[in-house]
Amino acid sequence: MIQRVFALVKMQLLKLIREPAILFMNLLFPAVLTIAFALSFGGGESAIFTMMAPGLFGYACIFLIMTVAMSFTDDREQGLLKRINITPTTSSQFIGSYIITNMIIAAIQLVIVFLLALLMGYRPKIDVIGVILAFVFMLLLSLCSVGLGLITATIAKSAGAATGLSFIFILPQMFFGTFIEVTDITRGIAAFLPSYYVTEALKAIFNGISPFVMENVMRLGIIALMSGVIIILGIFLFKKYGKV
Amino acid sequence: MVTSNMNDKEEMLKLIDELKNDISSKNNEIAAYLDKINALEQEITRLQNLIPDSPMQIKVKQRKKGFVFDPNSESTIVIKDLVKQFGEVTAVNGINLEIKKGELFGLLGPNGAGKTTTINILVGLLSPTKGSAVVGGYDVKRDLQKIKEMIGVCPQEASVYKFLKGRENVELFGNLFEMDKKVIKARTDKFFETSGLKEASNRKAKGYSGGMIRQLNLIIALINDPKIVFLDEPTVGMDPRARRKTWNFIGDLKQDDKTIILTTHYIEEAEALCDRVGIIDYGKLIALGSPQELMKKHDAKDLEEVFMKITGRRILEGT
Repeated sequence: MIQRVFALVKMQLLKLIREPAILFMNLLFPAVLTIAFALSFGGGESAIFTMMAPGLFGYACIFLIMTVAMSFTDDREQGLLKRINITPTTSSQFIGSYIITNMIIAAIQLVIVFLLALLMGYRPKIDVIGVILAFVFMLLLSLCSVGLGLITATIAKSAGAATGLSFIFILPQMFFGTFIEVTDITRGIAAFLPSYYVTEALKAIFNGISPFVMENVMRLGIIALMSGVIIILGIFLFKKYGKV
Repeated sequence: MVTSNMNDKEEMLKLIDELKNDISSKNNEIAAYLDKINALEQEITRLQNLIPDSPMQIKVKQRKKGFVFDPNSESTIVIKDLVKQFGEVTAVNGINLEIKKGELFGLLGPNGAGKTTTINILVGLLSPTKGSAVVGGYDVKRDLQKIKEMIGVCPQEASVYKFLKGRENVELFGNLFEMDKKVIKARTDKFFETSGLKEASNRKAKGYSGGMIRQLNLIIALINDPKIVFLDEPTVGMDPRARRKTWNFIGDLKQDDKTIILTTHYIEEAEALCDRVGIIDYGKLIALGSPQELMKKHDAKDLEEVFMKITGRRILEGT
């Protein structure tokens, strides 16, 4: 089982490196975004950038929805999902490999955004436990993104359609759950968005508030529950209606 | 009186000693007999194992392991009353077929006849609407995982990862069959050598020509050294030279005692390669036999004419 999952993770990481569009979306885009925001909003000295910075982590991660959806639909169009399906590889091993790969990508995104934000003058009040907890939040958000990517791939007929349809899940999270401050009106919508809980938790962690305050523990519980439900739903829908 | 009592006691003691010795020696004898009995029992068990099971006993044993059909049968694939419907459309309509071990069997028919649907049922990509199919002794409805471990499939659409090198594609699928790394490497080297793709093996598949991709498609299907190989239109879109080369490659597989199921709509391919051919039309098996038998039976010069005499149409005209 490990040999199969490892081989699939290796293949997907090679895709990340060798396919320029995927490399840009997953790794260069978060880097460009961080630098652009820092320059536009006055760098680390600026209160606006300090407020926005935690949202950038989630912002990068929610775009995994698009790359996962594109990847699945592309593989389906090329008959590769069928081909994998006629090997002894089980669907849980295959989707498991996607989850592991995207968790690795989310972790790399976190490091990129964090280092570049530091370079641009951002100074979070964070300790080792805070860093670990930030990783946990990001990994759970990546799990949500894989699940939403699977749901998108279920609906989409082609990779091109998947790109467009993925914005159904990206846009609300982008506007109501990342760097734009929520208002009393938008809070109601944000309550249904995984990225909102992650961004709020990261804000607390980066502002030096103890990572284990009740609010953060609750956020962790909610995001864990959301990621579990979304990934199970994504796998179920894709297996049933995704036409492997 | 006292002396007499003493003598009696001595005699008694002597007798007891003798009896003890006797019992001890009898015990030893019994132990020896028990050992002999044990040895005999083991020998009986060994000899019993050498006696072949009755067909019924074999059936019962194999059913427990997942086997479902007559072990005395030479057939590797048994299809009974197979039906596949997609809504109103019946793609496979009551096919009955047995394919023998080591046979190169061709499913011949026009596009849309139901060849690929039949193959897709046999490899587990589709479930049958009615009927049953057994592959390598396992039922496609119940033991799909076991079937997947023993088959190799070359699908109609050339499905390879374009961003991976040719070699990386083959190695990926070797790993999906959990093969030993050294074996994967050795088989990959062998296949790239024999297929003439050696020089391209370290190039990304993105740069391969259509014919090269189809060859890579075929190599991937064989990496796990499958007992049963399904080749779904393996030469479609190839130029005549590449097609000949692939025919030789497929012919070599037959020497390895593999059972090969080939779907094609090329008459000459079926005639050149297949031991037996099943002609399918509108989801029904309309003719079955060796190419020579079929041509003789229908007084035809080739399989195209056989098809024409049965259906009144040409194979390449389609349905």
